[in-house]
Amino acid sequence: MSNAQEKGQLASAISSEVMIEVSKMNKWYGSFHVLKDIDLTVHKGERIVVCGPSGSGKSTLIRCINALEEHQEGDIIVDGIKLGKNLKNLDHIRTEVGMVFQNFNLFPHLTILENLTLGPIWVRKMGKAEAIETAMMYLERVKIPEQADKYPGQMSGGQQQRVAIARSLCMSPKIMLFDEPTSALDPEMIKEVLDTMVDLAETGMTMIVVTHEMGFAKTIADEVIFMDEGDIVERNKPEAFFGNPEHERTQKFLSQIL
Amino acid sequence: MAIIKATKTPARPEPLSETSVLGWLRKNLFSSAFNTVLTVFTIYVIYLTVSGVYVWGYADATFVAETRRECYGNSLTGACWAGVIDWLDNIFYGRYPRDELWRINFGGLLLAFWMAPLWIARAKGKVLVGASVVVFYPFLAGYLFSGGDKGLFMQVMVSGAIVAFVINMANAIVGILKQESIAQFIIKRLGQANKADKKQRNLLIGLVAVGFGAAYLWQSSWTVEFVTWTKWGGLFLTLVISGIGIASALPGGIILALGRRSKLPVLRVLSTGFIEIFRSVPLITVLFMATTMFPLFMREGFVLNNLVLVIIAVVLFNACYMAETVRAGLQAIPKGQAEGAHTIGLGYWGTMGLIIMPQALKHMIPNIVGSFIGLLKDTTLVSIIGLFDILGMLRSISKDVPWLGLHKEPLIFGAILFFIICFAMSKYSRHLEVKLSAGSNH
Repeated sequence: MSNAQEKGQLASAISSEVMIEVSKMNKWYGSFHVLKDIDLTVHKGERIVVCGPSGSGKSTLIRCINALEEHQEGDIIVDGIKLGKNLKNLDHIRTEVGMVFQNFNLFPHLTILENLTLGPIWVRKMGKAEAIETAMMYLERVKIPEQADKYPGQMSGGQQQRVAIARSLCMSPKIMLFDEPTSALDPEMIKEVLDTMVDLAETGMTMIVVTHEMGFAKTIADEVIFMDEGDIVERNKPEAFFGNPEHERTQKFLSQIL
Repeated sequence: MAIIKATKTPARPEPLSETSVLGWLRKNLFSSAFNTVLTVFTIYVIYLTVSGVYVWGYADATFVAETRRECYGNSLTGACWAGVIDWLDNIFYGRYPRDELWRINFGGLLLAFWMAPLWIARAKGKVLVGASVVVFYPFLAGYLFSGGDKGLFMQVMVSGAIVAFVINMANAIVGILKQESIAQFIIKRLGQANKADKKQRNLLIGLVAVGFGAAYLWQSSWTVEFVTWTKWGGLFLTLVISGIGIASALPGGIILALGRRSKLPVLRVLSTGFIEIFRSVPLITVLFMATTMFPLFMREGFVLNNLVLVIIAVVLFNACYMAETVRAGLQAIPKGQAEGAHTIGLGYWGTMGLIIMPQALKHMIPNIVGSFIGLLKDTTLVSIIGLFDILGMLRSISKDVPWLGLHKEPLIFGAILFFIICFAMSKYSRHLEVKLSAGSNH
């Protein structure tokens, strides 16, 4: 598959600094209890893959970390800031946490370059020339600098997803969240996106990735988390997770998808 | 598996029915016996109508006459356009003093020039052009049309309008010739291009201030004669009312729509109530309320003229309709767009202004223009409450002694005028749609 995969497991660069601290977090959609007593600590530079059956709450979990969803009980502390009703904190957190969606969510009325420079110019108050320079650097890094003047609708899904990754990176986030980034892609485009993500992992970015790409998980994950019905069922090193899953529910899930 | 085709199949030219006129005719008009009968019948009906209209409206019509009787003397079967031609000034300008008509024409011309850069691709700063039109033009035009003494506020606004207009024109010319904005041009000419942003900005602000001072001095040296609003009329009055309605309905509608979608309950309930009340009442009722009931509720001596009341009523009424159009447009934008905007740190106003609104407005163009056309036509209702707008003027021709009883021709003429204006608007909206969706195909 990817270059990194041929090299085998990436060297990890985990520091002792805590980036995300979730404790006793609960969330309901109406009367439906989506997330139950979630405890999760993520250190700086740590790369975590979250998997689990659909409806298990894995997307909701990372959306809570980015404050796209409100949680009702417990604490989420991101980069030392507690999420809550304080809107100033929310806006600040969102600039520190990048997020990549299943459906890209690029802005269709803006060119690729405008998509990338919007945040730096309007939120970071960066000069236009500098913002364009940064944007081109990241487009270079996701290997599509020649597409800068196109509109999202003119590109393939894989290219759009790489642009979405570059757009997040332009805000120089401390954490990157990925919500099933390859699920909406045609099979031949999955690899280019995963390669981009592996490249990103190599830079030491703190990442939480919700995905069903188990090969990818084996390559980059420092730890794999398995969720089911709102619980974190198992958290383990990838070798142990895939080689010798402890929980029965994990074994059943893995036997179905591998 | 067996190989079915060893070579690629080459492309062939399309069949004749796709290209030739005859092929098209056969395919679309004469494909079956029934279709043929239908086609022939339709052509016959069209022939009857067109030839009848031609004979009545042109061949047998009278264009020059002093009275309706003279028209009849000329031909009994033709139209009497002479009455309409005799009243043209009234139809367009109402009872506005004939010596002062230039003010209306000049006002219209100013607007055309002011907005022209919006359609010129090379001109820069289109947002500024649009904003300056909305902020300054109404005051300049308002003074031009009504005249009299300028109060201090009017003096300031008129000076502002003059400065804005001159800057705008200079900007457009520089844009066409050099493809840069007037600000860049001046900075370069003065050799300040390498100075800090702040210094450049201060210089420009200084220049604008000097220009404003000059404009202020100049405008205080003249006034135009006062024309009371009761003399306003005809197409001019219709365009004033609907123009103000159109310019303020969209911003008003956006504010109300955002209010209705707000997370704050008080704001939401207020907006919803306001929208629903205005939408459940016919415009004519709102107009009557504004002109007859509203003054009763006011303190004695507090008098707003009927025209202002009517304009306020039209604006509020249409803002409420526009609010629903805007709301529908906002709902059509996927939730992911707002989430995408949040993840790059944009707050509520940034998300709305940069991401959601531009996309929603694009989807809304057909509906917005539809409302504008409706607004333009609805303004003819003001003739019922005693304003002599274009419909009022057209109908008073039949009460003018030489043209007594001349109903048909004026109303047909009015219909043609409305058709031209509304059709142009609708064509332009179609053009806008195509243009705006050119880049992003979705």
